[in-house]
Amino acid sequence: MRIELDRPRCEGHGLCEEAAPDLMHLDDDGELVIDIAEVDGAALDRARAAVRVCPVAALRLAERA
Amino acid sequence: MGNGIAGLTAADSLRAGGFDGELTMVGAETRPAYSRPALSKALLRSDTDLTSHELPPPDHGATELLGRTAVGLDADRRVLTLDDGTELEYDGLVIASGSRARRLGTGSDELVLRTLDDALALREKLSSRPDVVIVGGGPLGMEAASGALEAGCRVTVVTNEPPLERQLGPYLSSHITAAATARGLTLIITPGARVVDQDGRSRVELADGTIIDGEILLSAVGDIPNTEWLEGSGLADGGPLAVDSRGRLRPEIVAAGDVAAFPLAGANVRSPIWHSAIEQARVAAGALLHGDAAPELQAQPYFWTELFDLNIRVAGRTPLVGEPELVDGALDGPALLRWRHDDGTAAAVSVNYRIPIPRLRKLCD
Ligand SMILES: Cc1cc2nc3c(=O)[nH]c(=O)nc-3n(C[C@H](O)[C@H](O)[C@H](O)COP(=O)(O)OP(=O)(O)OC[C@H]3O[C@@H](n4cnc5c(N)ncnc54)[C@H](O)[C@@H]3O)c2cc1C
Ligand code: SF4
Repeated sequence: MRIELDRPRCEGHGLCEEAAPDLMHLDDDGELVIDIAEVDGAALDRARAAVRVCPVAALRLAERA
Repeated sequence: MGNGIAGLTAADSLRAGGFDGELTMVGAETRPAYSRPALSKALLRSDTDLTSHELPPPDHGATELLGRTAVGLDADRRVLTLDDGTELEYDGLVIASGSRARRLGTGSDELVLRTLDDALALREKLSSRPDVVIVGGGPLGMEAASGALEAGCRVTVVTNEPPLERQLGPYLSSHITAAATARGLTLIITPGARVVDQDGRSRVELADGTIIDGEILLSAVGDIPNTEWLEGSGLADGGPLAVDSRGRLRPEIVAAGDVAAFPLAGANVRSPIWHSAIEQARVAAGALLHGDAAPELQAQPYFWTELFDLNIRVAGRTPLVGEPELVDGALDGPALLRWRHDDGTAAAVSVNYRIPIPRLRKLCD
């Protein structure tokens, strides 16, 4: 699966980073950077957790194109 | 038991922790879990679409019983009873039944804002630009006031203490009040306001008898934990569920989210905020799987609010007493503020200032 970010929607709460620090981080300007977008296995579980905690639903998982 | 963010996170965490047994979710609402924080913010704005509250569909593989209410629990027999008489046996139970809005009156025209249906109804009503009276100056009342003003309504807030003072302290309270009144909010700070039924309509009556009239009356005066269904189970005494530092009521029953009160500095307190519901649910799921070997709750308080063009994020313990230290920015613009507490910890606050939350947290050390 692929992690997709709806950037205008992201408010930089960083709860997603907390759930999956190896997959994404907030840069110094508070912008979310997806470090690893293509995920499967255990990383997919963490990606799911990250997607779920975002209170503004800015992240989603899509089938790989 | 409970299909909000706490229930959902608990189910996800059980799976992530390796639980591959049978999982059942019971939820009183007929819809999948959604983001409540969005209800009083983006969802009230008429210029935004209707998806800001949506959460991705669950993939924890639970049998979902939505639109069904738990009505009883026999903790000794380990049986949960639903409203249609179904009895569900369990080995482990997560109680995440959340809370509901408190009401001040009895009329059905007294609106509250707790569920998606509440928010959609309010949004619809605001579109005809009615005069709005809101009782309660906490985050919910003030966010709703902000949304109603933006929708073009005339808005009055009646509150017994300065807006958000209990949550954020006097300094930020006056900052928010200034922004609110500059945008046209009428603010009445007075003790003893009531909601009364007059001529078949709910209205706000001040202590001196003055009636504050509006076409819409919204109460935002706190929430009540949903524990009535536990009556007779020996687990609840009418208040929130007092759990241990791992969310346990008994070894096989845990609670998390708005319904739960975790120990904090010697007392059990509720922390009815989004981030707490998530961290508590993770801990509680861990305790079901691993008992005393599971980590205890290490609360990392985080709270945010958006109102009157102010975007405020708070990391660390509140309330914030006294004057802040200006870490960066300017007091009349985007600002990064810090309050030192007596115990050596600190709380950091960003006001319209973009900063990664981990960095905001670091400022608390
Ligand atoms: C309008 C609004 C705005 C908010 N804004 C913010 C914010 O900006 N920041 C922040 O940090 N927090 C905010 N919060 C608080 C945050 O949303 C809550 O702390 C969080 O949603 C709690 O999650 P929960 O899962 O414990 O409870 P809930 O979300 O209440 O979920 C409990 C679920 O259990 C179900 N249930 C209850 N009783 C039964 C029963 N007997 N049988 C079956 N199901 C039952 C309910 O229907 C509900 O779906 C806001 C809350 C509201 C209402
Ligand atoms: S949790 Fe959501 S809003 Fe916050 S940084 Fe992640 S994607 Fe953005």
